[in-house]
Amino acid sequence: MSEANYDPLPVSPEPQHDAETDKYHTFVNLALGLAAITGIELVLVYLPFNQIFILSTLLALSLFKFIAVIAWFMHLIYDKLLLTLAFGTGMAIATGTFVALGFIMSRSNVDMEAITAF
Amino acid sequence: MSDTATAQHEDSHASLVVDNKKLLMWLFLGSDCMFFGTLISTHLIYRKLYPESFEPTALFSLELTSFSTFILLMSSFLMALAVSAMHKGELKSFRRNVIGVIFFGLIFLACQVYEFAHFVHEDLTLSTNTFGSTFYLMTGTHGVHVAIGIFWLICMYFYSHTGKMDAHESAVDVEVAGLYWHFVDIVWIVIFTAVYLLEYVDF
Repeated sequence: MSEANYDPLPVSPEPQHDAETDKYHTFVNLALGLAAITGIELVLVYLPFNQIFILSTLLALSLFKFIAVIAWFMHLIYDKLLLTLAFGTGMAIATGTFVALGFIMSRSNVDMEAITAF
Repeated sequence: MSDTATAQHEDSHASLVVDNKKLLMWLFLGSDCMFFGTLISTHLIYRKLYPESFEPTALFSLELTSFSTFILLMSSFLMALAVSAMHKGELKSFRRNVIGVIFFGLIFLACQVYEFAHFVHEDLTLSTNTFGSTFYLMTGTHGVHVAIGIFWLICMYFYSHTGKMDAHESAVDVEVAGLYWHFVDIVWIVIFTAVYLLEYVDF
């Protein structure tokens, strides 16, 4: 192909700028949402609802905040899958450790009298 | 190879390449997840084993902790804006947002110092009981992470004034610092729910 008929795609900073503007609106909405959720969590623990309902709601809201920050503020949804895997591996091991410790160290498996005596 | 083919090859290569700094930071954050996962697990398991040893709701100020959480979430928002500004090449906007992040980070640390001082005044120290040991270790480690983040951002702020910081080339460096800061935020989200809020739920 000669230089004369080579017609490169126009390179313009506009698409990048538009994408960043879109992200700005996403960040503002997300920040407002996260602040509102924190407020809801604070109020929720004082309300006379079923405790299991409150527990489930708190865990769900916390999980939502956790995922939202990772996905949007940390750009994970805009980035490569490899980065998700790198972080996800650590998360999976941490969660596995928590679950395993929870089972191993349950009251039924621990000799409380021996610990108290010690 | 023609120019078009070369350009296509470079495009496809670019779409596969992951920046080394970002990959390394994500791997570090994954390992830090395990670190904090262990600290939080230890705290929760000791709470389950010795529920009668201590009643923390008498000491906790949920309003203060919620305020700290709000501050940290807003600092994360400003950090996201700082990264975005750097991608757009707006150095002044970057500096403004970073100053905001540093300010909010310092407020968070001040709240934590106030909380610790209050707890110590109420005779809850590192050696009082298992709750004190695991609580101070976990929240203290998080506080150290926040302090390191603030120091990092202060260095980055002053570096931006040296003229050596190129707005576009330094975007990755800022993004990596941002990842660290957001991670500190998500760890606090977990601590806030697991350590503070769940104490108020009777299950």
